[in-house]
Amino acid sequence: MFVGLLVFLPIGAITLEALRSGLASIWDQIRNPQALAALGLSLRMAMIMVLINVVTGTATAWVMVRNPVPLRGLLNALVDIPFAIPTVVTGMMLVVLYGPRSVLGALFADRGISVVFDRPGIVLALLFVTFPFVVRAVQPVLEEMEVDMEEAARTLGAGRVKTFLLVVLPTLMPAILSGAALSFSRALGEFGSIIIVAGNIPMRTQVASVYIFGEIESGNTGGALGLSIVLLIISFLVLFSLNLLQKRSRRYAATD
Amino acid sequence: MRGFKYVMCLLLGTCMLAGCGGKRDISEDTLTLGAYTVPKEVYQRELIPRFQRIWKEKTGRDLHVRQSYMASGAQSRAIARGFEADIAALSLEADIERLRTEGLISHDWRKDEYRGFVTNSIVVMVTRPGNPKGIRDWSDLIRQDVDVLYPSPKTSGGAMWVVNAIYGSSLKRTLLETGVADDVAAGKFLAALQARVRVMNKSGRASVTTYETGVGDVLLTYENEALLRQRQGKAFPFIVPDATILIENPIAVVDANVDRHGNREAAEAFVGFLRSPEAQRCFARYGFRPVDADIAAEFSDAFPKPLHLFDIRFLGGWPRVSELLYGKNGVWTGIFERKGV
Repeated sequence: MFVGLLVFLPIGAITLEALRSGLASIWDQIRNPQALAALGLSLRMAMIMVLINVVTGTATAWVMVRNPVPLRGLLNALVDIPFAIPTVVTGMMLVVLYGPRSVLGALFADRGISVVFDRPGIVLALLFVTFPFVVRAVQPVLEEMEVDMEEAARTLGAGRVKTFLLVVLPTLMPAILSGAALSFSRALGEFGSIIIVAGNIPMRTQVASVYIFGEIESGNTGGALGLSIVLLIISFLVLFSLNLLQKRSRRYAATD
Repeated sequence: MRGFKYVMCLLLGTCMLAGCGGKRDISEDTLTLGAYTVPKEVYQRELIPRFQRIWKEKTGRDLHVRQSYMASGAQSRAIARGFEADIAALSLEADIERLRTEGLISHDWRKDEYRGFVTNSIVVMVTRPGNPKGIRDWSDLIRQDVDVLYPSPKTSGGAMWVVNAIYGSSLKRTLLETGVADDVAAGKFLAALQARVRVMNKSGRASVTTYETGVGDVLLTYENEALLRQRQGKAFPFIVPDATILIENPIAVVDANVDRHGNREAAEAFVGFLRSPEAQRCFARYGFRPVDADIAAEFSDAFPKPLHLFDIRFLGGWPRVSELLYGKNGVWTGIFERKGV
């Protein structure tokens, strides 16, 4: 009931609104080269972010569960910080850290790399904003996992790497995928930090959410709706296939 | 962030409605000003307090002024969607025109001796202190070693003025050199300059902030924005190019809202006051060029007239410019699509 009111109503409203202006005109708006480029950039940036996040997130969860690091409680709280910070502030922080006036920014600039107002800045912002997803998905699974299996594998002669790849990773996979899918969907729609960090140059550093914002502001609601619907569909597909995957792996685990 | 402002507007609107329905203080008048962000300082610190005193002397009543400042286009859309501003003070004619086509403004707002405008300005080039890149004119801005900043015309009225200035200055140059205004050359120049732009912020103010973080060699913006920064004691040197556009900012009483609130008299008095010598001098001190000819003459030293100043009519007026530069097949829109990724 709640889910229906909270989620379905707004999504239904935007879909209806889009349909009212006619499918053909929407298709036209989506085919706009700037819209397509923005969508492509969003997808690519989100992909890169997910690849990095999967590795670093899993590693972070691993360290937090398995290694008795000092101040574990503090680390645990730190992981959730990105959720608590307004994303606009995230953007500001990145500009302060990597801007041309900063030490780091100057260092990169000397090597001809621009971080903020360019693509690396977008990936950094997405990484920051979505960091907790993979960690928080993997952590509980790791906590429940018995060390017995790993020990058994080790006594049977498997090396550290082999144990991790063949024993630990398959168990963690559904959790990692779930974290990856959530962060991917979240990244597609990320706006607050990106509008500050990205250059917003059409076809180059303009992502989908910022393109949509521009279309709304310049009075082209149709263009905004068109791309919004595409983002919605992609997010939905990603989350839906995640669900399927999880069901299958659960069945797999049961028959195992 | 702008979403947040919409919410604030809605809240403000709701409060106003509640206020109207409830107790209505007869000894107090209320005005709601919906303005663009740039003149916020001069309205808050000078114009509104001064007018409140005048109103009190004239009528014996207190005047309460509610104020909202947003990017011109967003403000215009907010009013069109129901934010009950009595007075709209915006950056571009097109944003006032929207209110007229929506039926909120029913009078001919252009029909006064100032053609509906309240302030002027021009587009200038802000450089780093000492002008290390030796910027002198538009042609320097397409050099490969120069990075330029201006906001996105999709979201910023100020950016539209900037792009108009770039395009128009190129037209003006070809007109002076060959006797014919060359649209193709102007389009090419605009594309070459756009290629030097690394960051397009959502608003003029955001663009200034980005410039202050150290990005870019040249910032294209309103003259008054640069003068305001200088007034705040910041090093903000700027160059007035020979050919640039005269920016004209319109103001209008929103008929539908003043009729509903019954405060037309106060609203019209306020707009009248803004054109008075006193108010025009305030504007001038905050960096805006006066629309009143006498006051403009008073400040002619502070606001030198560029040699080849042109206004929007040189480009054929706003309706033509909207289509020619920013339309679906417009010159500016097309720059990115031809170049590809």
